[in-house]
Amino acid sequence: MQGIISRAWLAGLAVMAAAGAAGAEGSGPTEIVIDGSTTVGPIAKAFAEYYMKEHPGVSITISESGSGNGAKSLINGVCQIAAMSRFMHDTEVKAAVEKQILPVPHAVAIDGIALVVHPGNPVKDLKLEQIRDIYAGRITNWSQVGGPNTKIVVIGRESNSGTFESFQLLVMKGEKTGPSVESVGSNGAIRQRVQSTPAAIGYVGLGFVDRTVKPLMVNGVSCERQAVMTGRYPVCRPLFLFTSGYPELGSHLHALVTLHLHKKGQEIVEALGYVPLTDY
Amino acid sequence: MQRGSRELVDRAFTGVGLVSIVLLAAALLTLLGPIVLRGLGAFVFRGTVEHRRVLLEQFGRGDTEEVQRELAAARAAREPVYDMIAAFEREMKQAGPAERRAMGESLDGLKAALRELLGPLPGDPDPPLLRLRFGQTRWDRALVKLQSVLWREQYDYSDPTVMGRKVLVPRADEFRGTALEPLFDRLPAELEAMLRPRWTVYWGFLFDRSRDAHFFGGIWAELLGTVYLTVGAVLFAVPMGVASAIYLVEYAREDSRPVRLLRTCISTLAGVPSIVFGLFGLAFFINTLHVSSSKSVLAGSLTLAILILPLVIRSAEEALRAVPHTYKEASLSLGAGRWRTVATVILPAALPGILTGVVISMGRAAGETAPIIFTAAVSVGQPLALWEVFSRPTPALPWNIYNLCSEHQAVDEIRHVQYGMVLTLVALVLLLNSAAIFIRARISGRLRG
Repeated sequence: MQGIISRAWLAGLAVMAAAGAAGAEGSGPTEIVIDGSTTVGPIAKAFAEYYMKEHPGVSITISESGSGNGAKSLINGVCQIAAMSRFMHDTEVKAAVEKQILPVPHAVAIDGIALVVHPGNPVKDLKLEQIRDIYAGRITNWSQVGGPNTKIVVIGRESNSGTFESFQLLVMKGEKTGPSVESVGSNGAIRQRVQSTPAAIGYVGLGFVDRTVKPLMVNGVSCERQAVMTGRYPVCRPLFLFTSGYPELGSHLHALVTLHLHKKGQEIVEALGYVPLTDY
Repeated sequence: MQRGSRELVDRAFTGVGLVSIVLLAAALLTLLGPIVLRGLGAFVFRGTVEHRRVLLEQFGRGDTEEVQRELAAARAAREPVYDMIAAFEREMKQAGPAERRAMGESLDGLKAALRELLGPLPGDPDPPLLRLRFGQTRWDRALVKLQSVLWREQYDYSDPTVMGRKVLVPRADEFRGTALEPLFDRLPAELEAMLRPRWTVYWGFLFDRSRDAHFFGGIWAELLGTVYLTVGAVLFAVPMGVASAIYLVEYAREDSRPVRLLRTCISTLAGVPSIVFGLFGLAFFINTLHVSSSKSVLAGSLTLAILILPLVIRSAEEALRAVPHTYKEASLSLGAGRWRTVATVILPAALPGILTGVVISMGRAAGETAPIIFTAAVSVGQPLALWEVFSRPTPALPWNIYNLCSEHQAVDEIRHVQYGMVLTLVALVLLLNSAAIFIRARISGRLRG
């Protein structure tokens, strides 16, 4: 019996080793870890896919755990790039500097926070104040903003999210959201809630707007590229990749965080639905 | 109690038991049925010529000549569609400015829908994302996309007191009397020739790495990551768990206070929610001990090892206790010491039982999500080589299933990947559990013999 078991064990190890060898070609000395925002996630993933294709020796891993966790990871030195959909807080910068990490932001794209509703909702346009009232719990029925007589289901993000903090800053202007706001963990989750709930309202990054939800105009401006780029659309913010210090020129890290400055990078940003900073 | 009523109670209990078993079976069926059916869709489906093109161009598999020939045939079938668009664009040039704008808008909508179905149109610039470079690879998805070419979704807001109703408007209406009108009859009739669907068994779903965030390819990185994490957890947990079980059964005084305390601790450990282990793993293994510079398979395995430790200790204890006392007495009476007795008599006899427990705990470790979120799992990563597990994080099935369904940008496009992952994980766990049953069957056979 023991013989059989040890042989099986060895066979198992052999299989594992073979499996490892089969997957080895993508590895190398250049290993880059990205952690952070789910909003920046699609850009990070597409950049990584593109970069690894161009440089087969580079291996990039991406975690989408929220901007706050991205900042924490950078401060703790467990990632080289923190993807963030907001700027670092002063407390985070302070904590980073104390650990000899100098956070350098690389703005990769501009993102409008789209207010999305179910496509069946006849409401097209909301004033910024109305949105604030909805999230603060003062407006609770769609009929108060020109819609049908239905209770509003308000969906927001949890406090770890950079999109949540940008929303607090740009829309709520420091006011607290009401107790009836349902908090979910990611852009995708908001979209799913909204596309399946006719009376819902939520907010997502531009890359997550698709045909299943309807983006609202804010103050009469729709979240189109021109309006976001010039800041006429009132709820927009830059998306960042933070590194510790400015990356060494010529390094893979540098090439990755400046990819958006190249034509190819701009095309990727655009194709994903975000607004690029460059204009080729 | 009267005999009659006793029988009645008896029968009622039998009935309740039967009903609950039937309910259980039904629940199992409603749970496993969709998992298996939908999950199989990732492996067996009607793949289009685009699927074969992806395999050839991205994974270097398939017969180049045959795929090229098929592609040429498919392109020839698509040609009339592109010609109609070109003819329509010529008509547009002759129209007045207002009309031209309306026509342009309709055309843009149609083109966007066609691109999703057939891939880039002739004259399009090379798309920056891999997902935009190919048409639909699966016939079931192609049919969905065909609908959005033929019909435009609109909402009827005429009744202000209720939410709008969805209405489907035939796109053909926008192109009445133009060169594009015949397209809407031609497309459904000719779509098979344009995409050439064929029943495909795609084992590469297990063994290909994913391309462009799971739009194409398979789940090799996730599968391998799960295997690494599980095996790693067992490597750490089993020596510790078996050693503590031997101590508890053979060495410790049953009724002493420290031993009772120890047992309580193990029971408590078994009851701790798994997310607590995850946070503990982050705080202890990564931020305090620095076992690796970032998340890693090593840190994840250690965390999972603590999670399954109580399970291993319990099952090893039971296996050791099940060894007949006579074995031990015989060994001791022959002059063997306590350690020698344990190592040469008791452990071998208990080994199959211990193994059963180990395999079951492997199933537990393979399926856990929360402990690996902060310690090992990433949403995108390469398959790791064996020596990379000490420093590198990995995608893993349980986490990536969650990640796909909640965070992926285009989750509706790749549901089949999510279902395929679920099926793979469930199959993995079932496989481990049936291995445990098999081992147990062998022991009881051996003990009888």
